[in-house]
Amino acid sequence: MTIDNLKSPDLAAPGLTAASRPATALSPDASEVLRLDDLHISVHDGAALAVRGVSLSIRAGEVVGLVGESGSGKTLTCRAALGVLPAGVAVEQGSLSFAGHDLTTLSRRGWESLHGNHIGAVFQDPASYLNPSITVGNQLAEVLRVKLGLSRRAARQRSIELFTSVGLHHPEQVFHQIPAELSGGMLQRVMIAIAICCDPQLLVADEATTALDVTIQAEVIELLRQLREQRGLAVLFVSHDLAVISELCDRVVVFYAGEVVESGPAEEIIERPRHPYTQALLRVASVGDFRRRELQVIGGQPPQVGAEITGCRFAERCPAATAKCRAGDIPPVSVGAQHQVRCVRVHEPQVAGELAAR
Amino acid sequence: MSAAAPAAAQPATPLLAVESLDVVLGRGWRATRVLRGVDLAIEPGEIVGLVGETGSGKTTLARTVLGLVSPAGGRVVFEGTPVSALRGGALRAERRRGHLQLVFQDPLRSLDPDMTVIDIVAEGIRLQGETDRSVIRQRVLGALEKVGLDASVLPRTPGQISGGQRQRVSIARALATEPRLLICDEPVSALDASNRNYILRLLSQLRTALGLSIVIISHDLSSLAGIADRVAVLYRGRIVEDGPVDQVFAAPRHPYTALLMASAPSVRHDRELSPQQVTRTVAEAVALPADLLDSFEDPDACVFATRCAFAAAPCAAQPPLVPAGERHRVACHRHAEWMTLARARTADGRTTEGQLS
Amino acid sequence: MSRTELWESRPLRSKPPESKPRDSKPRKRKGRTLLRMPSVWIALAILLGVAVLTVFGSTLAPQNPLTINANALFQGPGAHHLLGTDYLGRDVLSRLMAGTRLSVLTALEAVGIGLVLGTIPGVATVFLGRGFDFAANRVTDALMTLPYIFFAVAVTAALGNGLVQAMVPVGILLAPFFFRITRAATLEHARAQYVEAAELMGASKLHVVRVHVLRKVLPTIAVTTASMTAAALLAVSFLTFLGIGVQPPAPTWGGVLSSDLDYLNQAPWAPFIPGLLIAVTVGALNALADAFRDRRTPGMLAVPEPLIRTHSTLEPADDDRQSQVA
Repeated sequence: MTIDNLKSPDLAAPGLTAASRPATALSPDASEVLRLDDLHISVHDGAALAVRGVSLSIRAGEVVGLVGESGSGKTLTCRAALGVLPAGVAVEQGSLSFAGHDLTTLSRRGWESLHGNHIGAVFQDPASYLNPSITVGNQLAEVLRVKLGLSRRAARQRSIELFTSVGLHHPEQVFHQIPAELSGGMLQRVMIAIAICCDPQLLVADEATTALDVTIQAEVIELLRQLREQRGLAVLFVSHDLAVISELCDRVVVFYAGEVVESGPAEEIIERPRHPYTQALLRVASVGDFRRRELQVIGGQPPQVGAEITGCRFAERCPAATAKCRAGDIPPVSVGAQHQVRCVRVHEPQVAGELAAR
Repeated sequence: MSAAAPAAAQPATPLLAVESLDVVLGRGWRATRVLRGVDLAIEPGEIVGLVGETGSGKTTLARTVLGLVSPAGGRVVFEGTPVSALRGGALRAERRRGHLQLVFQDPLRSLDPDMTVIDIVAEGIRLQGETDRSVIRQRVLGALEKVGLDASVLPRTPGQISGGQRQRVSIARALATEPRLLICDEPVSALDASNRNYILRLLSQLRTALGLSIVIISHDLSSLAGIADRVAVLYRGRIVEDGPVDQVFAAPRHPYTALLMASAPSVRHDRELSPQQVTRTVAEAVALPADLLDSFEDPDACVFATRCAFAAAPCAAQPPLVPAGERHRVACHRHAEWMTLARARTADGRTTEGQLS
Repeated sequence: MSRTELWESRPLRSKPPESKPRDSKPRKRKGRTLLRMPSVWIALAILLGVAVLTVFGSTLAPQNPLTINANALFQGPGAHHLLGTDYLGRDVLSRLMAGTRLSVLTALEAVGIGLVLGTIPGVATVFLGRGFDFAANRVTDALMTLPYIFFAVAVTAALGNGLVQAMVPVGILLAPFFFRITRAATLEHARAQYVEAAELMGASKLHVVRVHVLRKVLPTIAVTTASMTAAALLAVSFLTFLGIGVQPPAPTWGGVLSSDLDYLNQAPWAPFIPGLLIAVTVGALNALADAFRDRRTPGMLAVPEPLIRTHSTLEPADDDRQSQVA
């Protein structure tokens, strides 16, 4: 069994807390890398609308976190951004663009040129994305040869460099190992190396750390931070775990039942969450306190995927719901710089008191 | 060798006692020593978290306690009976008593997909010899009620109920035989925060209502957050720290415990140490003399020496478990001093003073 | 298991949704789908016919299969003899109908022997330890190398020339196939976590087999039985074709085929008839076996297909029966 003896490369790492994180490293043109506008995604061949009116944007070098329960639509949104929606699932409405280029009508060739070169992806279970009988080094080198046209030797050289930059110890040895010989954390680093090998502008990480041991998870999060620092890499990070998101992300987008209910700067959302669902998520999230204490839960269940509900989709579980909440469509309301909340009662001063009392 | 904890408030016999357990898996040249000299005691009515990363031996420890693996050395004593020595019919008879139960990690795999909930939960009862259908039904309903399920799930198969309900059926099956000790293998790792808290709360309530002892096996601390009384930290086959939760988390005495705490993601970014302050960086490793580094690779060296930022010459020998407080033990040569050193390190792991021997 | 390919890509926009939304109820149970297939219906009809003939063949036959009529040799199909007559003027249709019983029953006899000798050790070997497994596997290997013809001849030489005796070695030589397939199926299920759960509650191996394993292995055994019956029928036909185990003048399918081939000059059409009968029956059995094997899903949950194979190990929230989307 390989003991994951990895340490992050000894580079000047910034402070670790969210508060001391440096200002978002923007590339000179500070352009938008990914933009989703009013995205609607249907499932079951159009039978149900699983994602409704999702809008978000990611600037170069920014880390944006999508957080929500299973069924909230965050993974579908991220798959749409990658162009890998399965059969029966399609974008019904809205637009998707990468650095200004529209993606909704992109051909297969267009996507192929986008994948790897401009958008990279890592998913949850690295072992299932790697060929078990080929060495990891060769798998990375193959991508380099195909995508960048490097020679065998150059690809090998570059692979070893990439392995070093993702924090793998003894990269020359790792090059010759097959996936079964590597631990989960090392495999995830290999996947990250493959995802960034062609210098994409955006990295999509879908539950990338969920299956890892907590110490390894911390290392991978640190790695992603460093990649953002060194390469100005924008990251779209999807997770159910608000604590993980708060460690890494500059901005947070909270999903519930297919909609974005709150989005804004991570610090704001963590310190001053304005939507009742976000507040509930914070109550149940890990606070790093392991002593004996009362554990909170969020009562009730999310609605069926695609359920047609008039008014607020969280109203059924919301402690502050009123008739007004169920009346009609709830548009997002601005409550601060780039901070939006989908709640009609957000500006009412007594709501905060009500929710605190629950 | 472990020192006995101070006997001040100790009950006479613990519910479960693991004594100097050595477990070797694999045969011949592939044999690996997965557990070494593990000592652990569980008292009635307490919730103990057994924390370790992949490869720490926590699953093997659970399987050895349950009799699925035979130890190479040491023994397991449950309710006064040395269960590690039981085989065949005697082992089956002991298991049928139902006092020791396991809740598996994945209910999708641990529940027979072709059986109905009532048959699943009743299996243990039937194995105890109960044949009266109404008694069986009563006991099954009782177990389901304890986990918040009612008779409506009885005729359904695992595929027809939701994930959360499956998890609870799995727990109900374990409760049906009225166990004294419940071992839960990663009970909440696959759940989101709200469901996780729900199940943890449920386990805590079961402990209070039934006087159950519960062992929660997990790779991270948030799986026992809020409900554990004690935590035992396992690293590469050895217990490195073991003590009351409040004490351990207020002041961890082993660097690995601190690493676990430092690595745990949190919405409140108020942790005292960073992972880099307790682990050795590449630059530091390069600066150490080669033979010292090699001595850490020795099988008899401290299990954490290869990663530890504070490993020094004495760490080439495995430290014994020594008392560090009331029912609190730690296995570290430098347990009294490393914390000061850690705080002196910068957040990114650079040292401000020489700290190696 | 299908998964979204990482590099799969297609235009994101769908065509406008057409008529009604597709029914999103969970996949129907396998039993109903099985009966929907036309091939299954045809196969069942054929086998039902064969079964009827097995029981009532002699009585239903229009004429006495043994009656020799020197005046009506090698007649083609006609009003009086629907399938013509053979070299002795006997009605072919009647001979085939009457011969069904012997052929089918002896084939079933062989399958029965193979089933018992193969499946019981096949299930047991998984639970009886490595020594037994090794020995059983080696015996199986040995048996599988032996040709059944020679054994059939040897047995009839020893025990007398009867089809019943001749099918015993066939049965013994079918056993290895049953053994291997049953063993493989049992292994798969014996390692399931719910079996371990039962063992931890003190279940004996017998309990595990009875409660958990047997019902999951039965579909495999059923499929194998259908295929092996087809094989046994072919073996019967071949043996009777060679004249082994045949007591003339009792009709058998293979026997009719054999005598037809002797007189190909006079009646070139003749061998097709018993040949077709054999082929159609064997084909029906195999078709049934195939259909059953393709449709069965032993031990798998009848959960509705998730919309996305989320690779997340997270359980969806409660009440997620209809659909799971992350």
